Amino acid sequence: MFRHNALRYAVLVALSLAALFQALTAEYFGLEILTEILILAVLVLALDMVAGFGGQVSLCHGALMGVGAYVYALVSAKAGIAPPVAMASAVAVTGVIAWVIGAICSRSHGIYFIMATLAFGQMAYAYVFEAPVFGGDDGLSGISRLDLSLFGIDLDDSRSFALFCLAVAGAVYGASVMTLQSGLGRSLTGVMHNEQRMRALGLTVWRVKADVFGLSGMIAGLAGVLAAQHVMYISPGLLSWTVSGEALVVVILGGLGTLVGPLIGAAAFVLLKHEISAWTDHWHLVVGVVLIAVVMSGANGIFGWAEARWGGWLERRMADATRKHEQEEVVSDA
Amino acid sequence: MAHDLGFWTLQTLNALQLSMLLFLLSIGLTVIFGLMHFVNLAHGSLYALGAYFAASLAAVGGYWMGFFLAPVAVAGIGILLYSGFIKRMRKSGPMAQVLVTFGLIFALLDLTRIFWGDLALAIEVPSALAGRLDFLGVEYPAYRLFIIVLGVAIFGLLAFVLGRTQIGAMIRAGVDNDAMAACLGINVERMFFVVFCVGCALAGLAGAVAAPLLSVTPDMGLHVLIPTLIVIVIGGLGSLKGAIAGSLIYGFVQTFGAVLAPQLASVLIYALLAAVLVIKPVGLFPARG
Amino acid sequence: MKRAILAALGLASSFTLPASAEDIKVGLLLPFSGVYAALGNDIETGFNLALEHFGGETDATFEILKEDTEVKPPVALGKAKKLILQDKVDVMAGIVSSGVLGAVRDLVHGANVPLIVANAGNDEATGANCSPFITRMSFSNGQVNRPMGKWLHDQGIGKVFTLAPDYAAGRQMIDGFVSTFAKAGGKIVGQEFTPFQKTQDFGPYLAKAKASGADAVFVFYAGGEAISFVKQYDSFGLKSDLPLYGSGFLTSPLYVNAEGPAAEGVITALHYVPTIESPANETFAQAFEAKTGRVPSEFAVQGYDAARALIEASKTGANDRETLANALRQVSFEGPRGKLSIDPATNNIVQPIYVYETVMGENGLTQKVLAQLSAEADPANGCEMAPVSK
Repeated sequence: MFRHNALRYAVLVALSLAALFQALTAEYFGLEILTEILILAVLVLALDMVAGFGGQVSLCHGALMGVGAYVYALVSAKAGIAPPVAMASAVAVTGVIAWVIGAICSRSHGIYFIMATLAFGQMAYAYVFEAPVFGGDDGLSGISRLDLSLFGIDLDDSRSFALFCLAVAGAVYGASVMTLQSGLGRSLTGVMHNEQRMRALGLTVWRVKADVFGLSGMIAGLAGVLAAQHVMYISPGLLSWTVSGEALVVVILGGLGTLVGPLIGAAAFVLLKHEISAWTDHWHLVVGVVLIAVVMSGANGIFGWAEARWGGWLERRMADATRKHEQEEVVSDA
Repeated sequence: MAHDLGFWTLQTLNALQLSMLLFLLSIGLTVIFGLMHFVNLAHGSLYALGAYFAASLAAVGGYWMGFFLAPVAVAGIGILLYSGFIKRMRKSGPMAQVLVTFGLIFALLDLTRIFWGDLALAIEVPSALAGRLDFLGVEYPAYRLFIIVLGVAIFGLLAFVLGRTQIGAMIRAGVDNDAMAACLGINVERMFFVVFCVGCALAGLAGAVAAPLLSVTPDMGLHVLIPTLIVIVIGGLGSLKGAIAGSLIYGFVQTFGAVLAPQLASVLIYALLAAVLVIKPVGLFPARG
Repeated sequence: MKRAILAALGLASSFTLPASAEDIKVGLLLPFSGVYAALGNDIETGFNLALEHFGGETDATFEILKEDTEVKPPVALGKAKKLILQDKVDVMAGIVSSGVLGAVRDLVHGANVPLIVANAGNDEATGANCSPFITRMSFSNGQVNRPMGKWLHDQGIGKVFTLAPDYAAGRQMIDGFVSTFAKAGGKIVGQEFTPFQKTQDFGPYLAKAKASGADAVFVFYAGGEAISFVKQYDSFGLKSDLPLYGSGFLTSPLYVNAEGPAAEGVITALHYVPTIESPANETFAQAFEAKTGRVPSEFAVQGYDAARALIEASKTGANDRETLANALRQVSFEGPRGKLSIDPATNNIVQPIYVYETVMGENGLTQKVLAQLSAEADPANGCEMAPVSK
């Protein structure tokens, strides 16, 4: 089950403050990068929920995000329905699709699960790519952002939109923590550790898996809506399996099953990509090497590594304290 | 649409040719998985490397030099990968393996761009196989027939080695239960190494064989990876029978899908895959029940 | 920006700049990684070559900011926003894929930043979605193929089977050809659109073409697909009974060598061929070859003419977004492709189209020009363009 500890709180507060500071002070390109990080953060929170706490390593979350983006675009731009309704329907549709995928794949484990989700993701990609209603390879444009002028906020302004994404990411983080701490989340982690036992306890395992996968899909769909609103243009590339792979990379880079870690991973990944692509066209090579190094180091990503070090330090201090205490006792005995 | 018998013969040959190319690719991947429980997403990159090596070697010493040496060169890359990464990743879970090999895809993609540039390369079909042959009443490119024959020959050879020889028995024992095989005095580590290299060589061979048919581009490995994975998931991981069955299914669905229902061709294969996963989550012919 | 290159280039060393020289900031938006990296590099080389050749004709100097689109529309849009909002460029040039152009169209139109399109050919960009700020110096998909329909029918070909990848550009290229071919009295006996960038084996489609009873096959493919297609077409022995025609990208100099002898005899139409005989083309082709060791492709000439257009516009005294946009719409000059001008109704280039055959020359494959079809402006296609302000 997910628990906050002092380090997690500290990092969370630091990250939020840094994001807020950036959102208020950065100039144009800084805001662009921040928004990119926040949207990726929402997506990897969704992925960490299923992969880190349910052992369901999904390679279709990129596609789910794409589904969210396309549903939003179709409903709002093509059908001309108000953005809030379009957003809600995008999240709902993605959730239902994810639930079905989760239910079908609930019997598969390990590499089969990875492959099965990959297959569903590619199926969505192929469909969006080919069906004329989605605009094919040329994508869809003319997507508008949410209208918050009622509250005096103009989301077409980059700074407001970055703050909006920050608020959404914060809300999604809170929702993920609540889900994982609820009975459903606990059951899921139980299933990850010992499926047989949970079944013996009378749990409908496939339902738990499908429900959490559906919730995760809703979050991924929300990330898609944000992405569509951010770029105001979408293309099938959003659903490609490499997007899912990159999301998984971010989760691992940050620290699987820590929720906070993937947030760090999202920031590190986007910054790294921009920095490297500024001085070489071969940024894939650098990202590939960094990824290999992180995974092979055996640490659970950046945050997992930090947490292990912190845990070790905490333990040593505790051990020191007890030892001192014991010594005192010995002295007093004598 | 009315088509004569020749048309369907031609399409069947097309389907077989595609199947055999995929078979060469998937057999290496699936046996590596069956034996070592290792998922190598970079298998497609090895295929691309095979094509690039073949293109470079063919420019120096003609097609056959590329054909014979490219698999050796790719096996050499395989040795580097094995000692550098794979050996250490054996005990990690599937996710770590997927990610390391995902990283390798990125790295190898850019390395091929650095060494060979962005422009597409190509190889000419060797003169002995350049023409067309009359086959079952249709004229069919000799080179495509060569691919079919090569695929069938490799299948026969592997079936023989795996089914009838001592090495085959050892490999099958390793697939069934590697700990037990090790107890019986089989050097499992060395066997893994050899199988991995042979798998890489076959991927390289597939690249060398595909090069004259297609164009050699840096992203060809990425394009071929998904079909290869579909083949082995449909067929069932780890078995020769699964690889050949999966390849044939893919080849025929893709080819006849393109002919009969062009609008559905690419969705069709994914739908089939999903159906297989629902009915038999471990594929049609898995190595172990 | 770390990659900012001060491109006063050739003229900086030859004479000192007048104090009144205007510095024009140019954002070059091209793919330098991904499937179209080779195209991006050719366009950039051509672009820089024109600055070298003609930069001395204008008082303005150009500062070039280069950004990689990775051929991904969202990435490209982010980079375009950076160039416009942060770097405050005066003009942008480049764009290879139609998807990327579709993604940045609303941005440049809304921000009033002139964009010189150096490749992307989707008909809408100078049709229904045209903008006074988007000037295309490359081609439109329909434009390249339309003249070929009548020409092919005049050669005595009555029945054609068409093939192209299944995406907007593929459909527009084929539609352009079909419209004029059918008008001339030709008959389309079959049409197939193959999954874009997913098709490696064209065997099934070739068998269909063969069975269709057509006199010839007309196709559009580009890049890796073009190489595979041409080679497979030849390997099935179709070339002799069923001659292959197409959009000239099929046998572009960029990859015709990879196609090898299979490309021999293929007849296609394009807006540029490196063997055009004119002084302007000779200067360009020689300079390009000296630089890269390769024959220039149509992509290189598009980059070359894009920079040339910019220089021509700056010669009128234009130096900021508004004046440059206005001046770009009125440029016309004699380039390697022949006489070029901009159609004021759509902002699309008006240029001659060359029908050429790929033949074996002394140093490998080369292009033999069979016909020069006269320049035609595209139909407006729903474009309602604001008039040029004088």
